[in-house]
Amino acid sequence: MSGSQPIIQLQNIEKTFLLGDLNIEVLKGVSIDIDQGEFVALRGASGSGKSTLMHILGLLDRPTGGRYLLQGEDVANLPDDRLSALRNQLFGFIFQTFYLIPYISALENVMLPGLYGATPARQLKHRAEELLTQVGLADRFHFRPGQLSGGQQQRVAMARALLNDPQVLLADEPTGQLDSATSAEIMALLQSIHGQGRTVILVTHDAATADFAEREVLLHDGLVQDR
Amino acid sequence: MTAWSRIAEIGLIAWRCAGMARHALWAAKTRSLFVVAGIALGIASLTIIVAAVDGAERKANEMVAIFGPDAALVLGGNIESRAVGQRTLTLSYEDAAVLRRSLPGAYLVVPMRAKSNVQVRYAGRVTQVPLVVGTTAGYARAWDWPLSEGRDLSEEDLTRSARVGLIGDTIAQELFGKQSPIGRTVLMDRFPVQIVGRLSYRGVSGGGGAVDDRIIMPITTLTKRFHLERNYFRALRVKFHDPEYMSAHVENMRSLLRHLHNLRPEEEDDFSILTADEILQFLSTFKGGLILFLGVTALVAMVVGGFVLANLFYLGVDERRSEIGLKMALGAPRWAILTQILLEAVGLTLIGAILGMFLGMAMGQLLARLEVLEILFSWKVFGFALFASLAIGLIFGLKPARRAASMTPIEALKGN
Repeated sequence: MSGSQPIIQLQNIEKTFLLGDLNIEVLKGVSIDIDQGEFVALRGASGSGKSTLMHILGLLDRPTGGRYLLQGEDVANLPDDRLSALRNQLFGFIFQTFYLIPYISALENVMLPGLYGATPARQLKHRAEELLTQVGLADRFHFRPGQLSGGQQQRVAMARALLNDPQVLLADEPTGQLDSATSAEIMALLQSIHGQGRTVILVTHDAATADFAEREVLLHDGLVQDR
Repeated sequence: MTAWSRIAEIGLIAWRCAGMARHALWAAKTRSLFVVAGIALGIASLTIIVAAVDGAERKANEMVAIFGPDAALVLGGNIESRAVGQRTLTLSYEDAAVLRRSLPGAYLVVPMRAKSNVQVRYAGRVTQVPLVVGTTAGYARAWDWPLSEGRDLSEEDLTRSARVGLIGDTIAQELFGKQSPIGRTVLMDRFPVQIVGRLSYRGVSGGGGAVDDRIIMPITTLTKRFHLERNYFRALRVKFHDPEYMSAHVENMRSLLRHLHNLRPEEEDDFSILTADEILQFLSTFKGGLILFLGVTALVAMVVGGFVLANLFYLGVDERRSEIGLKMALGAPRWAILTQILLEAVGLTLIGAILGMFLGMAMGQLLARLEVLEILFSWKVFGFALFASLAIGLIFGLKPARRAASMTPIEALKGN
C-alpha cells in the first residue's frame, strides 16, 4: 500500500441525534486524515463527541453529514452486510468494558471474529492460541472471563481484536476500568501492536494516556480544536 | 469468489451459529428448561392424540372384521332410548323361526342367551367364566369364528338338550394347559358338560371386551340347567347373502320384527339392530370426540409453549443486547444473528418434541394399560411431532430473532 493516500479521510463529518423534538448535534463538522500505520489519540472530555466519532470511524454508526473515505472509498452507500464484512476484516475493536462473552472460554472469545468467515476452525484455534500467548495468557486458554482479572480480560479482548489481522485497531478508553500498573501494561501492548505496522486509533479523556500516541487530536464540543 | 465457495462459506457460518446457539442455550439453562417443558407437554398431547386416533381406527377395523360386513345383531330392547324397567327380553323363538323362514336374503339366524359368572371346574382346578352363551347350531359359522379343534354344535345337540359345549381358548388354556380339551368333561355349577369343540383365539370382540373366556352351549341345555325363561332370548345373530344390500336387509328385518311384535306406527322399536356400519359410525363419532378434545388440549398446550418461548426469547434478546451488539461489531452479518436466535428456538422445540414423544408414549402406555384408550404408535407420530415443533420454533422464534437482527451494533452495545 502506498503512503500517499490516507487510509481514513473524514471530511466535515456531522452527527445529529434526534431526541424527541430535540436535535442534538454531537459532531459539527469533523475533518481528520489518518495515515496507514499512524498511532493517533482522539482526546476529549465527556460530551465532546469522541465516542460517537469512534463509532463512525469503526463503521458501527453512520454519519448524518459529511464524507467518510475508507481506503479512498466512500462508505456512505455501502449496504449493512458490506459494512459487517469491512468491520470483520479491516478493524479490530477494544472497548472500555471488554465485552467478552461470559459463558465461553478465553480461547473461544478470541476466535469469535473468525467464526463469521471461511477460515477453517483448526487454523482459527491455532491463531487464537498464538495471540493469547503473545499477550501473556498462554496458561489461561480455557478460563472463563469471570475467572480472569480486568487486565487479563482486556488482553483477551486485544487478542480477539487481532484475530483477523486487521489494519486498523480502534481502542475506546481501553484502560478506563483498570488500575495504573495494569493500564501501563495495556498501553505497552498497544504500542507493540502499533510497532507491527498497524494503524492504532485511541480514544481517551486522559492526557497522560493520549501521550502514548504519536499524534493527538483534541475534540471539543463536536469540533476538532486547533492548538 | 465463486458462487459455490460463497454457499460453502454461508453453510460454514450457519454451522458455527448452531454451535454458538448450543453454548447460549446451555448458559441459560433455566430459561431453556421452561421452553422445553412447555413444548414437551404439547407434543406429548399430540403424540397421544395421534396414537389414540390410530388405535381407535385399528380397533374399529378389527371390530368390523370380526363382526362381519354381512351380519346383523339384533338385541332385545331399544339401546338408544332405554326406558327404566323396559323389557329387554322381547325376542322370541317364534320371531327367530319367522325370520329364518321368511326374511329375504337371510341364510343364518342364530338366537343367543347368556348366563354370566358361572363357576367351572376340572380336575381340581376352578375358574370363573364371565359368560356362558346359549345358542343354536352353527355358532362358529354365524360369528365367522373357526374352531381350532373339535366340532360345532349340531341340530341334534339342540333337540336333545345335550350336555356339550364349545370352549374359549383362554379358558381351555387355564383348565387344560397344553392338553386337548376335546372329549373331557367339566363341571359347571355341579352339572357335567362335555367339551366337543375349541374356539380359536380371537382377542377382541365387536363390543370391545375379551371374548376368549366364554363357553358356548346349546340354548336348550342352558335354559333347562339354569332355569331361565324358555320363550325369549337376548340376542339374535343374522347373516345375509349380498352384503351390498345390507341397509335393505336391515329395513326388511325391522319391519318384519315390528309386525311380529304388534308395534303401532307411533311406538318405538323394542329391539335394536346393530351392523358393521353402525359400529363404524359409533367409532367415528368417538374418534371425532377424541380428536376434538385432545386436539384442543394439544393445540392449547403447544400455543402456550410457543408463547412461553416467544416471551422468554424476547427477554433473552433484550438481556443479550451487548452480546448481539458485540457480534455485530466483530462483523457478524444480520442473517447470522437471525440464524443463531432461530436455531436456539428450533433447538429447544426439537428437544421438547423428543421429550414430549417419550412422555406421550409413556402416558399412552399407561392409558392403554388402564384400558382407557386403545393406542397405536407409528412413525406418523414422529413426523407430526417433529413438524409441529419445527413450526412452533420458527413461528414463535421469528419475532425475537428479527428483533435481534434489526438492532444496530451501536444501539445494542450501548444497551448494557
